[in-house]
Amino acid sequence: MMNGGGGGGQKKRAPRIEPFRHRVETDPKFFDKSWRKLHDAIREIYNHNASGLSFEELYRTAYNMVLNKFAPQLYEKLTENMKEHLEDMRTCIDAAQGGLFLEELQRKWNDHNKALTMIRDILMYMDRTYIPTNKKTPVFDHGLELWRDTIVRSPTIQGRLSDTLLELIHSERTGEVINRGLMRTTTKMLMDLGLSVYQDDFERPFLEVSASFYSGESQQFIECCACGEYLKQAERRLSEESERVSQYLDVKTHEKITAVVVNEMLANHMQRLILMENSGLVNMLVEDRYEDLTRMYTLFNHVPDGLTTIRSVMASHIKDTGKSLVTDPERLKDPVDFVQRLLNMKDKYDNIINVSFSNDKSFLNALNSSFEHFINLNNRSPEFISLFVDDKLRKGVKEANEEDLETVLDKVMMLFRYLQEKDLFEKYYKQHLAKRLLSGRAASDDSERSMLVKLKTECGYQFTSKLEGMFTDLKTSEDTTQGFYASTSSELLADAPTISVQILTTGSWPTQTCNTCNLPPEIVSVSEKFRAYYLGTHNGRRLTWQTNMGHADIKATFGNGSKHELNVSTYQMCVLMLFNSSDVLTYREIEQSTAIPAADLKRCLQSLALVKGKQVLRKEPMSRDIADDDSFFVNDKFTSKLFKVKIGTVAAQKETDPEKLETRQRVEEDRKPQIEAAIVRIMKSRRVLDHNSIMMEVTKQLQPRFMPNPVVIKKRIESLIEREFLERDKTDRKMYRYLA
Amino acid sequence: MPPPREHHQPHEEDDDDTAGVVKLISTEGFEFVVDKKAAMVSNTLRNMLTSPGGFSETRQGEVRFPEIPSHILEKICQYFYWSLHYSSGKETAEFQIEPEITLELMMAANYLDT
Repeated sequence: MMNGGGGGGQKKRAPRIEPFRHRVETDPKFFDKSWRKLHDAIREIYNHNASGLSFEELYRTAYNMVLNKFAPQLYEKLTENMKEHLEDMRTCIDAAQGGLFLEELQRKWNDHNKALTMIRDILMYMDRTYIPTNKKTPVFDHGLELWRDTIVRSPTIQGRLSDTLLELIHSERTGEVINRGLMRTTTKMLMDLGLSVYQDDFERPFLEVSASFYSGESQQFIECCACGEYLKQAERRLSEESERVSQYLDVKTHEKITAVVVNEMLANHMQRLILMENSGLVNMLVEDRYEDLTRMYTLFNHVPDGLTTIRSVMASHIKDTGKSLVTDPERLKDPVDFVQRLLNMKDKYDNIINVSFSNDKSFLNALNSSFEHFINLNNRSPEFISLFVDDKLRKGVKEANEEDLETVLDKVMMLFRYLQEKDLFEKYYKQHLAKRLLSGRAASDDSERSMLVKLKTECGYQFTSKLEGMFTDLKTSEDTTQGFYASTSSELLADAPTISVQILTTGSWPTQTCNTCNLPPEIVSVSEKFRAYYLGTHNGRRLTWQTNMGHADIKATFGNGSKHELNVSTYQMCVLMLFNSSDVLTYREIEQSTAIPAADLKRCLQSLALVKGKQVLRKEPMSRDIADDDSFFVNDKFTSKLFKVKIGTVAAQKETDPEKLETRQRVEEDRKPQIEAAIVRIMKSRRVLDHNSIMMEVTKQLQPRFMPNPVVIKKRIESLIEREFLERDKTDRKMYRYLA
Repeated sequence: MPPPREHHQPHEEDDDDTAGVVKLISTEGFEFVVDKKAAMVSNTLRNMLTSPGGFSETRQGEVRFPEIPSHILEKICQYFYWSLHYSSGKETAEFQIEPEITLELMMAANYLDT
């Protein structure tokens, strides 16, 4: 109580220092008494008997001890005391048998934690003041350290704890059910004691044991399992370990255990798995096993170089399959089928990469380069692709739907891009297009133009300018023919056959030398009238009839009374018209009268006499070959369900070998000026260049069209030197200089 | 010495943990009933009230301070409420401390870690 005058005065007084309220302790037993109090209280706490204790009293006891500078001793005594209690606990834990070991450990751990909290709260003042200034461990942490050293790291417990945990995990891996809650609290305890405790006492041995477990399992499985089964198992184990971590391990372990499983089960057996016969990657690709492929991709994504390996195995498989496809003589018999198979193959792998390899760009690139590799192994690929397009663009095609046709053509363009000899393709495409246009077989103008646009987008304007010229010619010709009929008087044209003329500009259309044959007089008359009309309006031009490219519709009445309209080629018309004046003719006679070249004539007669259902003529003898003395008659027994009968369409066919040779020669010839132009272009801008650089630059420039042959380039350079476009450097024979 | 100006009426003993009051008893036996929330401005009291293990104080809902006189304890209770009121708001009013109780008040504050 305050001494002295309380009074009512409010006047300020100098502060007075009062003596302590409590007795000033000079009692030598102060420390012991105070400690005794705390000591007993702690004992009660550890015995779950705290309810009778007064927090305030204990707090005040500790507070006073610290104020009286007894903190160090208090700390020491506390340490000793806790150690004693912990040693008691350890005895209990050691005594626990078998499965009860972890339970007892957990129970004691909980007790200790709770007691520690209470002790810390009571000793809060010491924690606040003495400990920071003297750099001691705070009470709670200190208590954890004591637990760690006395219990967890004790010789009797440390090994046993680690072994127990690992045994339980092993049981779970072999299919038994374990107490996961207990596992979780135990690992959490280790984490609470510090990351290094968790890692040293548990995680490291765990990873080691796991590694040998999975090493063993992988050996066992790989001996008896197919690849797909094995991968399923690996996947199963990976997700099992994932779950294990989330259920009762620390999250940082996840990455490490995944790495162990991946390493043991996948990385160590990668080659063997991927290349496994009858069930490995190749087998999965062949059988379109999407699920297995997806699994393989996902799993090997974790392995260094995993995807690279898969990709290269896939690429060589594609190259091998593709190579056998393009070099198989059976396949080469049907070009359309050949290309269709290529498209199917491309579709197949596009799907696989899309579905199973998540559209991985590097895989798409590998696919592209594999295709590029094997398509060019067959030098007829450009021709075949053109034939395929030809087939699709003809009348009466299966893809009735325009959209479907577009899709197919787009896919064909993909194949086109792989070609190294695009100029060869251009030549064939021109030929086939000409035949389509002139025989009236092109299915749809829109589709033709759409294809041209695609080619133009891919290769540039020059590629398609001549092709477009062909379309223009046809349009113009229509107008010209109309003009002819409009302006010529009808008397002149009475009884004359109706003609439809297509005027082909020489540069735009594929050149073919043509010896004109002898046309029937009716035809000659009207065609000359046309020529006169045309030259009247177009001075200075020259017209040459291309008799090998035309066609005619003839009305025929046969001996048996049947009437038909026959659609035939010009040559065939010439032959048939002869029979208006003779009943029978020999081959020699026909040849003389028509002046048609022998090879063409024979083909023509064969198609008129020997094709079942279209035998307009009869031949004696009925052999396939045509000898000079064979005779031909009109087949009076000819019948057909249709009124209009088509004979021998001028369809594009794959070339015979001599034709093939000729085309290739022409292409090689065409390439020479292109190479020269490239050389000149390069030298003009660079002025001086060495041999190797020229080779590289020329190849780079011409690559979009074709791969230039180094020997040919060299020859062209020589030729240019001769013609004084270039010169060799006088000192260095490998350097060239441009001459202006 | 002016008698304590405010004498909070003792409420019925509430052994209710969630309800907000606790009784603080001074040396002389004066009982101050304050919200738990206010009491926990003192870290010591907070520890005491939230410590596991059921000390007698938490069970009975009252704390005896044999060494804190009433006039100090009263001031401290006032401080609790002042602190709560002005900790959130932007305004602050001065907390008046009579100079003659300063030392005792400081010692109690040290004890209570507030």
